[in-house]
Amino acid sequence: MSRINLRVWLIIPDAEAATVKNTLIRRMGYGDTLADVKKERLFSIDVDSGNPQELAKAFAKELVNENKESYRAYFDGIKFEAGYVPVKVALKIEDGEAISIMYRLRNRLGFQNVRGVEKATVWKLYLKGENPESAAKEIAEGLLINPNKDSYEILGKESSVRVVAAMK
Amino acid sequence: MKIAVMQFPGTNCEYECLVSVKEVGMDGEIFRWNRPAAELSVFDGFIVPGGWSYADRIRAGVIASKEPVMDALREEAAKGKPILGICNGFQILVESGLLPGTTCNGKVEMALAQNVMISNKRIVRRGYYVDWVNIKHDAAPRRCSGSFNLSKGELLQIPIAHGEGNLVTMEKSLIQNLNDEGQVVFRYCDSNGRTTPEFPVNVNGSTENIAGICNPEGNVLGMMPHPERAFFAWQLPPHDLRKHQKDAVGTGRRIFESMKRYIEVTA
Repeated sequence: MSRINLRVWLIIPDAEAATVKNTLIRRMGYGDTLADVKKERLFSIDVDSGNPQELAKAFAKELVNENKESYRAYFDGIKFEAGYVPVKVALKIEDGEAISIMYRLRNRLGFQNVRGVEKATVWKLYLKGENPESAAKEIAEGLLINPNKDSYEILGKESSVRVVAAMK
Repeated sequence: MKIAVMQFPGTNCEYECLVSVKEVGMDGEIFRWNRPAAELSVFDGFIVPGGWSYADRIRAGVIASKEPVMDALREEAAKGKPILGICNGFQILVESGLLPGTTCNGKVEMALAQNVMISNKRIVRRGYYVDWVNIKHDAAPRRCSGSFNLSKGELLQIPIAHGEGNLVTMEKSLIQNLNDEGQVVFRYCDSNGRTTPEFPVNVNGSTENIAGICNPEGNVLGMMPHPERAFFAWQLPPHDLRKHQKDAVGTGRRIFESMKRYIEVTA
């Protein structure tokens, strides 16, 4: 079984990320610590056969609108650039959209090797100060999640395996 | 008796709410989110209408819940003034911690998550849904400001239009507490008042068919259905015979009349 991770981001201005930044700075007091906010969608697709690189391209054709989005694929892990804290937010209740994507890939597009799909949002928090991960934790719990339906993880830079902080 | 109808970027039906307020004999005005929050104190009651405040960015209601005007609304709620949150207004009140409000510290105790329609233990549909639904008043009379005039068990037919109305919580005892304290004000039901847990009766998969709740004090009500869209008889669906009756009124009118009565009684 291998896992294909697709990081997908807008190449046009992201109004949702701008709203999050504005709210954090203007309403929640992060003007001194927060430099910027960006957002990505993350699809993690488990497959039990096939060439992951070819599959990643095929999945991207279905999940990425190249008129407004770009993507990068990773296999059995994921990397993030330096300079920001990546906060992964996902539903901890059943994710209907992820289930629909799996159904679409398997049953309508014929990818019978797809075994599972997870969907998340990665908020990239560009933070100043001594302890950006602590600020990211505070921001996640104060704005980015509702703990009654969402979970979050502050991811390490190099791998999805190392989790710095999390609320499941 | 003056009501502030709150308006955030993306609010809808605020003018219908204002008309409803005036039709039952109250005064009112639209209150934009960026007005000085202190000006709220002159009002006797508040309505947070539906819509898509801030385009539902992050999740429905959360950005509006961080606006300074919501701190002022929290102060007015603490004075016992009535607040009615409709649809997105309900979502805003939940994200603000005003509902269910059992901890008094602003903790977000529940979520209105994405609709999941279940029938025969199978998910048959998800997402945004628009329909006329039946709701049963499950609280005692005079328990809640927005249902002050309603009897327990009274049925109302009111439309819904939302994608995130599925009440979920990770607080283990919350639902039991809401039931024990009479804070469950409305439940989705069929035309005979039966609250079967499956779609289409439970229209969004909400825990225990809950369609509306109030805070422990009863002055803050949040409900997913839109009473302002069922205020006049002419707004009712074609199959409702009252639509064609002279002098008939819509079922949603009862909510606004209740708010008025609550203010009269508690003033």
